[in-house]
Amino acid sequence: MKRLQLQRWSSSVLSPRARTGGRLQQHLYYNLRRQSTVSPAPQAENEPLFEEQSLNSSTHIPQSSHFKYLLPSPPVEAARESAKLAALHARLYLPSRLPLETLARSLVDASADSNPNFNNEALATLGNDLLSHYTSEHLVCTYPRLPLTVIFAAMYAYVGPKSLAAMAKEWGVEMAAVPGGEVDPGLLQFKRVLPGTDVNAGPVTGTERPNEHRKSWRKSMTSRVVYDNEYGDPVGVSGESATPESQNTQGVTAEHANATFVRAVMGAIYLHAGRPAAKRFFEQHFLSRHLNISDLFNFSQPARDLSRLCARENFEPPVAKIISETGRKSRHPVFVVGIFSGQDKLGEGAGASLLEARSRAAVAALKGWYLYSPLNVRVPSSMEEEGAAPWKPVHVDLGEVIV
Amino acid sequence: MATCLTAPKRPFLALPSFVPSSCPSITLQTRRHQSSYRRTKQRLRVKPDASFGVSSTQFHDQIIHNPPSSAPSVYHTPTKFLPLDDVRRTLRGASMNNGNSAQLPSVFKTSVEKRYHLNPSDIEEIRRLRLSDPMTWSRWKLAKRFDCSPMFIAMVCEAGPQKKEIQKQVLEAVQSRWGTKRRMAREDRQLRKESWGRDE
Repeated sequence: MKRLQLQRWSSSVLSPRARTGGRLQQHLYYNLRRQSTVSPAPQAENEPLFEEQSLNSSTHIPQSSHFKYLLPSPPVEAARESAKLAALHARLYLPSRLPLETLARSLVDASADSNPNFNNEALATLGNDLLSHYTSEHLVCTYPRLPLTVIFAAMYAYVGPKSLAAMAKEWGVEMAAVPGGEVDPGLLQFKRVLPGTDVNAGPVTGTERPNEHRKSWRKSMTSRVVYDNEYGDPVGVSGESATPESQNTQGVTAEHANATFVRAVMGAIYLHAGRPAAKRFFEQHFLSRHLNISDLFNFSQPARDLSRLCARENFEPPVAKIISETGRKSRHPVFVVGIFSGQDKLGEGAGASLLEARSRAAVAALKGWYLYSPLNVRVPSSMEEEGAAPWKPVHVDLGEVIV
Repeated sequence: MATCLTAPKRPFLALPSFVPSSCPSITLQTRRHQSSYRRTKQRLRVKPDASFGVSSTQFHDQIIHNPPSSAPSVYHTPTKFLPLDDVRRTLRGASMNNGNSAQLPSVFKTSVEKRYHLNPSDIEEIRRLRLSDPMTWSRWKLAKRFDCSPMFIAMVCEAGPQKKEIQKQVLEAVQSRWGTKRRMAREDRQLRKESWGRDE
């Protein structure tokens, strides 16, 4: 398979000299603002230019400092002077093809700079799509029988905004108190919400779900795949994808800004260094985080579900049997109960009463069913590598037990 | 230090526990070994299990696998749940199959065999009786008459709204007599029951 020429795409997304006059505020200094993160090739040309500027910068000090204070976010030239930014680039071991200017741009939230050529909104959109694509294909291929609720919970745990915000904190990204042109570009720039503002006020409206005003209607799990976002939460105009105008007036939370930054870094790596580097970054930073999927389950009637499962799969009906017990007449008895289908043991659980042990054994058996993982798991995106073996279809079966 | 070294060891027979208890003055001292840290420790020093040592027949290096007793991992899929084309099904073979499952006692004393003996006309009769006179025809009485479980009665029909209202009032009257201790104990029991499903 031939690799796509990513540099072409990146130039169209980053749009170095594009000016959309209607949306921009009409200021004089906007004529001076230039995007310089085009692609690696023109960037080499930029460097001597930059040295020239630094040589005669002493003559322009009063003018440039005044100019800086007018800008909503740090100028592009400042990225090369920031020690924080270079340190972050080195700490994350980012590919050298990703210039510091793009890293600085990924630190500017849309609430700080509403100009789409200078904020990270486009990068974050791309990064979010990549993250949810890689995570969902990993989950679905590794655990083909997972119920949808567990997939949603696992997606939220891997690439949800809370995890991404924690990740940005672990990367050592500090937040600027107030965004502005004079701020170090190595700080995360966003406009904060006022303290005391209720960020989750009101129900989510503007979703594509039909009859959304009917509060009492049941929202099925499968409809969430179609209408809701990748975590199964409703997404509307007042949700995460709020309009930039409302974000400019209200500001965003620190969690939202941090999550957007991490997504933007992912998108920037994809644009500048290509798909293999983005995949590697995803595996090293996101997939390497430990998530115990067996903790995400919550069964209300495990014994009933298990008997339905055995009936569906044409197994013998499950029978609970006592494997061992101690202290039946004492204050703290322990029973170990196994659930057998025919001769085979499906699950085993220990508890202080026979009912508890049986219930826990049924939970263990159901988890054994749901957490089946095939050997030699391959994900569809592994076919993009050169010289990949022919694709074999992933395991698909009836999966979830529906009672 | 020197005195410690030169002090003669007490003879073995002079230890209080080995002296015959005929002498009454020693009975006070017999309890002393319980308070002695060294002796308690000595008694707890158990010889390791035979599987830990080097077996007499095998002198070369070996791996000792002696895991502590613990619940089996849920990531270990039972052989029955593996799909037909999975390699592990044949790899495990019959080694995992312990044949003594038939001799194990059941959790429930009587295993109820499902009979499916009621036909649709019986179910119509159950519904009619329950709606006509819900006070006499309770779930238990209907179950006794039709020789099925009260669970089945609840599955096929529902009580009338008046009966539900009465039952709700009865429940409220009973619960109003509960004190804090009983109420908390019942709530805790419910919470514990919910935690079984989360495997906590």
